[in-house]
Amino acid sequence: MSDTFSTYHPIINFCLFVSVMGIGMFSLHPVFLVISILSGILYCLRLKGRKCVRFLLGMLPVFLVTSAINPLFSHQGMTLLFYLRDGNPVTLESIIYGMAMGSMLVSMLVWFSCFNEVMTSDKIVYLFGKSIPAVSLVLSMVLRFVPKFQTQIRKVSDAQKCIGRDVSDGGTVQKARHGLKILSIMASWALENSVETADSMKSRGYGLRGRTNFSIYRFDTRDKTLLGLMLGAFAYLVLCIALGKVKTLYYPLLEVNPCTGWSVPAYLAYGFLALLPVTVDIMEDIKWHYLRSEI
Amino acid sequence: MALFTIRDLKFTYPEQGPIEKYSAQPAIEGLDFEVQEGEFLVICGKSGCGKTTLLRHFKTALTPYGKREGEILFHGEPLEQVSQRRQSEAIGYVLQSPDNQLVTDKVWHELAFGLENLGYPQQTIRLRVAEMASFFGIQGWFYKNVEELSGGQKQLLNLASVMALQPEVLVLDEPTSQLDPITAADFLATIKKINLELGTTIIIIEHRLEDVFPMADRVLVLEDGHQLCMDTPAKVGQLLTGNDLFLALPAPMQIYEGAKSPGTCPLTVREGRRWLGRHCPDPVICMPERDHRDPAEEKEPIIEAKEVWFRYDKNLPDVTKDLSLQVYPGETFCLLGGNGTGKSTLLSLLSGIRRPYRGHVFLEGKDIGKYKNKELFQHFLGVLPQNPQCLFVADTVRQDLEEMFDGREKITKEEQQRRIDRVVQDTQIGHLLDSHPYDLSGGEQQRAALAKVLLLDPRIVMLDEPTKGLDGFYKQKLADIFAGLKARGVTILMVSHDIEFCAAHGDRCGMVFDGSVVTAQPAREFFMGNSFYTTAANRIARERFPEAVTVQDVIDLYLANKEAGRAD
Repeated sequence: MSDTFSTYHPIINFCLFVSVMGIGMFSLHPVFLVISILSGILYCLRLKGRKCVRFLLGMLPVFLVTSAINPLFSHQGMTLLFYLRDGNPVTLESIIYGMAMGSMLVSMLVWFSCFNEVMTSDKIVYLFGKSIPAVSLVLSMVLRFVPKFQTQIRKVSDAQKCIGRDVSDGGTVQKARHGLKILSIMASWALENSVETADSMKSRGYGLRGRTNFSIYRFDTRDKTLLGLMLGAFAYLVLCIALGKVKTLYYPLLEVNPCTGWSVPAYLAYGFLALLPVTVDIMEDIKWHYLRSEI
Repeated sequence: MALFTIRDLKFTYPEQGPIEKYSAQPAIEGLDFEVQEGEFLVICGKSGCGKTTLLRHFKTALTPYGKREGEILFHGEPLEQVSQRRQSEAIGYVLQSPDNQLVTDKVWHELAFGLENLGYPQQTIRLRVAEMASFFGIQGWFYKNVEELSGGQKQLLNLASVMALQPEVLVLDEPTSQLDPITAADFLATIKKINLELGTTIIIIEHRLEDVFPMADRVLVLEDGHQLCMDTPAKVGQLLTGNDLFLALPAPMQIYEGAKSPGTCPLTVREGRRWLGRHCPDPVICMPERDHRDPAEEKEPIIEAKEVWFRYDKNLPDVTKDLSLQVYPGETFCLLGGNGTGKSTLLSLLSGIRRPYRGHVFLEGKDIGKYKNKELFQHFLGVLPQNPQCLFVADTVRQDLEEMFDGREKITKEEQQRRIDRVVQDTQIGHLLDSHPYDLSGGEQQRAALAKVLLLDPRIVMLDEPTKGLDGFYKQKLADIFAGLKARGVTILMVSHDIEFCAAHGDRCGMVFDGSVVTAQPAREFFMGNSFYTTAANRIARERFPEAVTVQDVIDLYLANKEAGRAD
């Protein structure tokens, strides 16, 4: 599925994930949590299609377990429902808090799965390399090395199998010895082959003064517009939370702020942020549909 | 003024050990030549003759540690005095391994890497990267991870990322040794294009002489660190007659020299055909002597695949489709085919590393799945992987060989030693026993790995691309080893790109295409029947000697006709 939101500047992508997840996680406000879960699921479906359904079904037990565990261990709260066998009370508040924690966890997991899809390695390298250039190169080299290492270990393992020496051969001790042998081969391989990499770096002038950082990303007008909107919404949300206009208390009694001229726009602002990726995608779809019908 | 002037260069490596001591034998000595601007210079010589050592002197950052005498001038200025920055830009290096030279994880980042190091601004980098991507046709995979690229693409990327610095001279150290012939030819054509269209000077070490000789302006031949000769390709051909290196020359040159005929020396197949047409227009003897033995008639097959299907994953396409194959005891069977046709996969199926999802593989009539691991890998089957480094585990070759007896059947020390002595003699690695396996050259590593496999005392040996990266001399050694194995009745199955090698040393050849074996015929018939996928000697001579497949065939026929008065 083509995702237009991913084509925005990495800073936009990153800021959105941070603000949606950050506010959802720290406020633990029920309205925010519901918005966050629903929009996260929508975006996940949009990104990964059917593959996502199984992942989402797997989230259900996570939610149930988390919400069940809390009342077993936490006995705070005013509304007493019943006593456990061992004499500990179960309260309504602890159940609700457990559910809030469960939905927070699930929403974070769902959003993280979207994050993984959108924030590819090069975007992360770019973002963090901006502040510390050396880190970006190291990250990039690590990302190059890891798959290379994996391919090689597979080859070595196959080669050892050919002389009857794979981790799947022999008894436990034999298996361990064969495994160690493979690792030792990999160690010499890595050292030996990095010499050539070092030569290639040196010969292309690595280590000279004044290294610059090249990136393929450009911050254009549509990025600016979107960043402005996002910052506005985010600032308003932070203000509301700081002023206590949007707040929630789980213990000793469940207490949520009333719907006021402050809080309703705050819900809308959060909804705007959380639904932004899906909205951007849908608007693009509509645009294309329209363009095509004109042709 | 010459681009590089080398004056009486001598270089000696230090001895191993803590004290500053130099080995008695200099790696290179008495080199004295000039490289002109815009020249295409090929450096050749046997492995270990000092080619790479010489090449590394063209850039101070890569110069090995040791004692150097003599001078290297770059545009008349001693190379050490040229700043690192200028050297990084003006002198570009491409090394052997496509994989190890890549530093970063993305294609675009790799292209920009050198420019970043030199501190170019964003805008310049953007332009240069775009230029390179267009010149080398990289646009299609610009955003990919380097991991997803094929070997040829990786090497092209290495070249492009060096060219992004706009060097005056490009120095290449066996850049195609890890590539298959077709990709290699493409790569070398790109080098020639750079030379012709951009005027970049090229200094290249290459063992595929049939591809680079026609491109070269001059050839420098090294022997034991000395300058044997430096001249135009045709002259070098004449000077090398009788030398070991002669075997590495392009087929037309070998035929020309072998036939001791007048006329100018042909460099390409086209010239070779013309030359043969002029000097042997209508021969009377056209058939080489041959034995009409077809091993298929005699015995039960030792390796048999019956309608084998294989894929790596349920959702991936089939790699091996409805493949059937018979290999008979004692023969050398070669499987040829292009890249990605499933040759290596086939080998892993036949050796039991992977299992087909349909069909069966039989070894000596028994399903391979029914063999126990122990039965399979003791005295029965030996497999040499494509990269011999995958097999080495110890610090010296000797320890590596001894290691093979670990955890196997109990035999006495003397018996172990006897077996080791035998394979060492078979594979001619006696002088290498105390070296570290990684310090050996490609050909030596190949032989040491083969020795390890032979210690299993196999009756079937399977090899994956055994001639990859080997020069003519080492190929000949490998062929000798094969002959020894064959004499002992060992069945050899190899997968290869190397048409010339298979033609000269294979009994039967099979062509793999689209996951199955298209034909399997005795080598001569196999190559006679093909018009494109055949040896250079056959392509040169097919109009006059249709059955001549190897260089030796053509030379023999030519000389026979000369005796009959039909050639001059």
